[in-house]
Amino acid sequence: MHREPPPFFHRGPSPLARLTFFALLAIATMIADHRFGALETVRQSLSVLVHPLQQVAAAPGSALSRLADYFASQDRLLRENAELRAKLLEYAAEAQQAKLLRAEQDHLLAMTPGRSRFAAEGVLAEIVSTGRNPFVRKLVLDKGLAQGIKAGMPVIDDEGVVGQVTAVGTFTSEATLLTEKDQSVPVMLTRNGLRAIAVGSGKDGSIDVPFMPVSADIQNGDLFVTSGIDGTYPAGLVVARVTAVEKNAAYVFAKITARPAAGVDNHRFVRILTAMRPAATPLPPAEERRPARERPAGKARRAP
Amino acid sequence: MRPADLTPVARDVMRVPAGPGLILASLVAAYLFNALPWAGWALLARPDLVLLVLVFWAIHQPASVGQGLAFAFGLAMDVGDSMLLGQHALAYAIAVYGAQVLRVRVLSFPILEQTLHVLGLLAGASAVVVLLNVLLGASLPGPAAAASPLLAAIAWGPLTWLLNLPGLRRMRREAGA
Repeated sequence: MHREPPPFFHRGPSPLARLTFFALLAIATMIADHRFGALETVRQSLSVLVHPLQQVAAAPGSALSRLADYFASQDRLLRENAELRAKLLEYAAEAQQAKLLRAEQDHLLAMTPGRSRFAAEGVLAEIVSTGRNPFVRKLVLDKGLAQGIKAGMPVIDDEGVVGQVTAVGTFTSEATLLTEKDQSVPVMLTRNGLRAIAVGSGKDGSIDVPFMPVSADIQNGDLFVTSGIDGTYPAGLVVARVTAVEKNAAYVFAKITARPAAGVDNHRFVRILTAMRPAATPLPPAEERRPARERPAGKARRAP
Repeated sequence: MRPADLTPVARDVMRVPAGPGLILASLVAAYLFNALPWAGWALLARPDLVLLVLVFWAIHQPASVGQGLAFAFGLAMDVGDSMLLGQHALAYAIAVYGAQVLRVRVLSFPILEQTLHVLGLLAGASAVVVLLNVLLGASLPGPAAAASPLLAAIAWGPLTWLLNLPGLRRMRREAGA
């Protein structure tokens, strides 16, 4: 059998020179990806290579869960069915009222220029996995470009807003949760119509509402819904319930913490709202406008 | 001359080189392991077998596996985990550089001491990833992240045995023939 002679004499550049080259290349890649988002095509073409491997790796797990679903006890299914029926009845009344309100609103809108801030069209998506990046809270959903999903679309479940689509592949998309750092939603207090911006805290199950003056009328248990003034989230979706209000006269702003209403860990299905409006929204009257120091909200910011 | 008479490094040089098929298959298998549906703290504690296999080949077959392949698999990991492109590539290139520099030293030790060296390389690589993410504004991961290099280093002994098996078998067969 023919054998190559062992490479006793090292050829090519030294390991340190190679490391310098690859380290610079890696840093350039990171800057291009982070700063300019220039590598989406590279990422997509690489993901075409990587996707089949991931499918193979995920196969045993999903087969097991499917098997478990199949053998789910009838008892549990019956119970779940009864619960869902009860919920349906509960919602039916609200839905009928909503229909009435909607008709009334349509009538009013027909008389005034301007467009609806409510959106109803959406796509049901299944949560494929809860994201593989340990540093960022994300959901991977089973709908993508092929189903008309675009980055920036809001994602909700039956309780409230879950987050926002931040990256789209051909058949999958990634939603970043509300609780993620730098993820912001314009909100409104249902009790008194106070407007604010809720920002993810980076911790599970809590979001912050910064830059509210100490004198602001916010109490424990108040409900925040989307205000719809950003053009991304339609108005009236439940966002969070206030859990703690800390008012310290030494600071200009109160420290307000809220708990998101949506239960991300509980469900397998979410709804992606596809009816996005262009961002051109008539500005609210001057006294309602946000303070200038708050940053523009609702834009899909790519987290690292 | 019996293999036992040689120094460990010479024994490694004299070994029948592993084919590209075995190298690629081991890397793909390691990638499949990394791509299993880990979640939550298990994802943080996931032993990075891709890096371990890369380090193994960088030490045992430096002519075939170097920083270029490490960079490529690092990019694949970043795409699979949907992280910022290039961070695993950087960490892998650094770890494989360490393996290239330390390879003669590592090979002269028995498995247990080799494991400690490998633990150092793996811990350095995961420190690079954590540091980059913290620089980019993520909060520090929990203590589960420290388990990842530990678990991977424990796998060094079994991996050495497993990946040397085909070569050993071939050597015995040729010696017998």
